[in-house]
Amino acid sequence: MANNLALSVKDLKTFFYTNKRCNKAVNGVSFDIKKGKTLGIVGESGCGKSVTASTIMQLLPKLSRIEEGSVTYYSDNGEIRIDQLERDGPEMRAIRGEEIAMIFQDPMTALNPVYTVGYQIEESLKYHTDLNPAERKARVIELLADMGIPLPEKRATEYPHNYSGGMRQRAMIAMAMSCNPKVLIADEPTTALDVTIQAQIFNLMTKLKTENDTAIMLITHDMGVIAELADEVAVMYMGNIVEAGTVDDVLRRPQHPYTRALLDSIPVLGRGKDQDIKSIRGATPDPYERPIGCQFAPRCDFATEACNVMPDEEFLSDTHRVSCARYKEIFENA
Amino acid sequence: MLTFILRRLLITIPMLVAISFLVYLGLELTPGDAVSHMINPEVANSISPEQLAEMREALGLNKSFFERFSIWLFNVVQGNFGHSLSGGVAISTIVLDRLPATLELSIFALLFSTVIGCSLGVISALKRGSPTDSALTVIGMLGVSIPEFFFGLVAILIFALNLGWLPAGGRLLPGYDSFFDRLPHIILPGIVLSLMMTAGVMRYSRSAMLDSLSREFIRTARSKGLPEWRINLIHGFRVALTPVVVLIGFRLPTLIGGSVVIESVFQWPGVGSELIDAVRGSDYPLVMMIALLSVFAVLLASLIVDILTALIDPRVRLG
Repeated sequence: MANNLALSVKDLKTFFYTNKRCNKAVNGVSFDIKKGKTLGIVGESGCGKSVTASTIMQLLPKLSRIEEGSVTYYSDNGEIRIDQLERDGPEMRAIRGEEIAMIFQDPMTALNPVYTVGYQIEESLKYHTDLNPAERKARVIELLADMGIPLPEKRATEYPHNYSGGMRQRAMIAMAMSCNPKVLIADEPTTALDVTIQAQIFNLMTKLKTENDTAIMLITHDMGVIAELADEVAVMYMGNIVEAGTVDDVLRRPQHPYTRALLDSIPVLGRGKDQDIKSIRGATPDPYERPIGCQFAPRCDFATEACNVMPDEEFLSDTHRVSCARYKEIFENA
Repeated sequence: MLTFILRRLLITIPMLVAISFLVYLGLELTPGDAVSHMINPEVANSISPEQLAEMREALGLNKSFFERFSIWLFNVVQGNFGHSLSGGVAISTIVLDRLPATLELSIFALLFSTVIGCSLGVISALKRGSPTDSALTVIGMLGVSIPEFFFGLVAILIFALNLGWLPAGGRLLPGYDSFFDRLPHIILPGIVLSLMMTAGVMRYSRSAMLDSLSREFIRTARSKGLPEWRINLIHGFRVALTPVVVLIGFRLPTLIGGSVVIESVFQWPGVGSELIDAVRGSDYPLVMMIALLSVFAVLLASLIVDILTALIDPRVRLG
């Protein structure tokens, strides 16, 4: 069981401290990422998706810390407890880029504007491999070519502003994949790109997953992206995972009212412009004044007094889990 | 690139003519003329109006304003910068005589303020919110807001008069004494002139560095597993460099024009102190020449800044 895991997160709590107040951005999150599989994490803005990713990479801002729980990376040489490593220490730096790599939402701002794309890719190789400069140059060109960038020799000497949006994200992926990481964290990789380019990036990521056996953690707020790419899904709301399971479990048999509400809020192509899109009423609560009990209760159509207690996680099957006090009743009535 | 430089140099010509006209006009509007400054007030009454008129005629001061300006401009275009009205020395000789002193002082200050200012600014940004940062911020504010002549006088009082460590002013001519005899003379004026520039460069590089460190590519660099020094210097400082270079570039004109205030306070025989004397003596050919030199230096500096910016930041294209 454990040997097909790439990364496992247990009861992770990451809190932010500002002005003596505490924002429990990630409040007890558990999931596993398996080798060669994609775990999609969905949720609206501010639900803790990106903070979870930053926690795994230890890229958190200064005023935040891992309060509880564990992040375990299964390397070839045994387990590494990432949460116990020094934040920017040598062990953590050896993992970043080499074992776990990350791609970001906006490739324009994520690449340094004053260095050539080739230089920025080569930088990773310089710190994580023993290649000499000539070999590194050759590898950069090979990587760019693998990502489907035409004229890679020429492109390697160009700057990010010479690239189009989709090409920049490919260059970003080339940079992340340069050292063959076992885990790739993609934080909304296509949000800043237009739809035709999105499809190309997805094909590229699927190819990487199957060819290199890379485990991918895909963060998005787009259910369509999940259906397209993910093997497993975790739905997050206010720092908790409210429902998780395989794509079939969650998208076809959603149990949590929040998951259902999310799925209902997607406009469907072909239903015309007068279709009734159900938005979720209310707004996400202030993270400093959270509801007691179930975080979604104030916006939930099915909330009762039972929801004033934080619901336990219940397993419907080996893969499918949900945190809702009333999911059984709701499911029966539906 | 070459056409860009040529075009920029050509644009300076009409600008120089226009600015020299304005400076000439300004001098014309000041009371008195060269002759009234040349004559000792005590003997002024014994000189007849005819003699004064003769002197004015000899210096060409009796012609109309536009006539005099055209003659002056015509001579300058031919490379004849004229003679000082008060001493009769060729202006090119005066300027060439004064320029080395100014260059020496300005290069010292420019190097000092660039190196120290950038280093302190980067340290301040990296240790943001620490006691070091707060202390540097206070010092920087003092440096920017206290006028330099005050610094100069305080420095002379402490280091030259009370402690007697360094000479109060003046400059020894090269060739007469050893380097170590001449070195002490530049330390006080050099450091005082640097202080204000250092404070400015420090404040500026601190904010540019903070801005650069908050950008997303810093997170990318960190996610690649690069060491901190590389993230801060190669990625952070390199991007922060562009605005700092612009600031330093616009200090370049002091290389030629000199710092009028500091040179006067320390009796530094540079172009700046010469300008003061020339203005006092209504020595308009000399004032015109120094003003033209300074203006040219400013125009040249902005050209250099543009070229440097394009070299540092690949997004900037000259055209």
